[in-house]
Amino acid sequence: MGRYVLKRGAIGLIQALGITIVVFFVIRALPADPVARLVGFNATEDVYAQAQASLGLDQSVWSQFVTYMSGLVRGDLGVSWVTGSPILSEIRSALPVTLQLITLAFAVALLVSVPIGIATAKRPGGKLDKAVFGYGLFAGAQPEFWWGLLFIFIFYYTLGLAPAPLGEFAPSVSPPPEITGMSLVDSLITGNFAAFVDAAWHLWLPVMTLAFIVSGPIIKMTRQSMSRVLGSEFILYQQASGLPSSQVARSTTRASLPPVVTLAGILFGFLLGGAVLVEQVFAFNGLGSYSVRAVLNLDYPAIQGTVLIITIVSLLVYLVLDLLLAAIDPRVKN
Amino acid sequence: MTIPTSPPVPGEHPLEDLSDEKLKAKRWYHDVLLVTGLVIVTVALFLAAFGEAIAPYDPTIPVGPPSSPPSGTHWFGTDTAGLDVFSRVISAPRIDVTLAVSAALLSGILGTFIGLMAGFYRGPLSALIMRISDVLQAFPVFILAMVLVALSGRNLTNLIFALTFLYTPIFIRLTRAEVMTQRERSYVEAARASGNSEWTIAVKHVLPNSLTPSLIQLSVTVGFGILLTAGLSFVGAGVRPPNPEWGLMIANSAPQIVLGEWWTSLFPGIAVSLTVVGFAALSNAIERRVATS
Repeated sequence: MGRYVLKRGAIGLIQALGITIVVFFVIRALPADPVARLVGFNATEDVYAQAQASLGLDQSVWSQFVTYMSGLVRGDLGVSWVTGSPILSEIRSALPVTLQLITLAFAVALLVSVPIGIATAKRPGGKLDKAVFGYGLFAGAQPEFWWGLLFIFIFYYTLGLAPAPLGEFAPSVSPPPEITGMSLVDSLITGNFAAFVDAAWHLWLPVMTLAFIVSGPIIKMTRQSMSRVLGSEFILYQQASGLPSSQVARSTTRASLPPVVTLAGILFGFLLGGAVLVEQVFAFNGLGSYSVRAVLNLDYPAIQGTVLIITIVSLLVYLVLDLLLAAIDPRVKN
Repeated sequence: MTIPTSPPVPGEHPLEDLSDEKLKAKRWYHDVLLVTGLVIVTVALFLAAFGEAIAPYDPTIPVGPPSSPPSGTHWFGTDTAGLDVFSRVISAPRIDVTLAVSAALLSGILGTFIGLMAGFYRGPLSALIMRISDVLQAFPVFILAMVLVALSGRNLTNLIFALTFLYTPIFIRLTRAEVMTQRERSYVEAARASGNSEWTIAVKHVLPNSLTPSLIQLSVTVGFGILLTAGLSFVGAGVRPPNPEWGLMIANSAPQIVLGEWWTSLFPGIAVSLTVVGFAALSNAIERRVATS
């Protein structure tokens, strides 16, 4: 198992490096002009040249690349062209916001959809199955930003059951000091109960929006996998041997888990991207909002940093997933 | 051998797989999908062609009092600039649908061809292509799309290229997998034995037999494309204002929703949502038809 993790880690490192290199050259090959974006289009040639030199863009692409990579091996992702602060510290405070949001959304989605998927597999064509089928048609690929807005209209404007979508905390609440960067965790470990309640109050709607979008595919996959296992010979054999139905149900559930876990991993990666739009809607300062700002400002170091960090996070998720799969299904191990 | 005395629970018993009840459920799902898909896709394509022509007002110039709720003269109301929301919603498919259909077709053709080559002629190049498309698929599509479009310039051609680039790996993967099973079939051997060149076998014999997965994927990819275009426009990295485009309309009305102005984002949102559902349903219906035949 240890060797397997090591091997996967090495491959992951190469992949992350590959993506970093590709992104570095691709963004410089595209016809955007970050210098003009910074100094304005009416700047004199002198100002332009000065800005170009200060960003290092007067160097050849290769020497820029060498500079970037030599920083990278020292753990230095460079400095933002717009804010002037180190990329690593900016991402360090943005990433936990996103991770907290998508982890909660993911947990809610799994807790709700796996039982529903199992129930529908047991009664295909039933009322619940038809209702869920209609929903599954819908969710999965949906404009999450629009659903977010719709939920804001319903739960904030009409019902008053959610706060205004203006960030992680209300302006009147003093936020806890940034320790992990996750609003719930930080307020909990500093014992700031008021902040904890406020953080949860601001989180529930964005979490629900994301969970609503990803639940569709999870239900579908659970149902599919479950009905396949229910029709398999080993379950028939268990039933024929007169095993108690609770035992049969346990075997069925366990045998139908692997495809669901695989899908879950893919969805986690999807959430990492989907969070971009939901963070925008709810004004969360997570990695999603950060990446939008980086791209729109043509802040190359910030774009490169975001891409690298997201790649590493997704690779880690896939690794954890594979280990989980191996634990559920011993055949996978080799 | 003991015979089970209690009757099997319906639906749980594997041998009942083809019971009337299950078959009826299957047909019902298939019919719902097919009708939903066909109706929505037809309307979307019709509006892409004639939406602007049948719109009651010009979608890009103010035609009424700003921010007025739906009424007899403005069915879906007007936005903050006084543009007619209904005219904009039905004019938008010209951009959204055309763009997504072009990108889906381009990536379908490109991906199927590359997938055919990668699956038929296996070698280091084929392995490299698969690695690249693996890495591409592992990365969050939205962020990649944002970078590509924002940095290459926000216009329709660049949007189509970016979407094509992002969706090609799916078709490569699907076609390659199908080609790998087809190339072992005996008809390939027969074609080879009767003296056909490898190229002829690949293009004339294996390709037509490997098209099904791509054809199923095509429609759902159109839906994804619409979704991505709307999302990109929403964050300001897609279509430029004042073009009628669903994501852009939702973005412009986002600040208004907390003030209770629901109509400017509700209608374009429903349009995106339904269109995506329609294209996905059509794909799903075709898939079920293929699976049962």
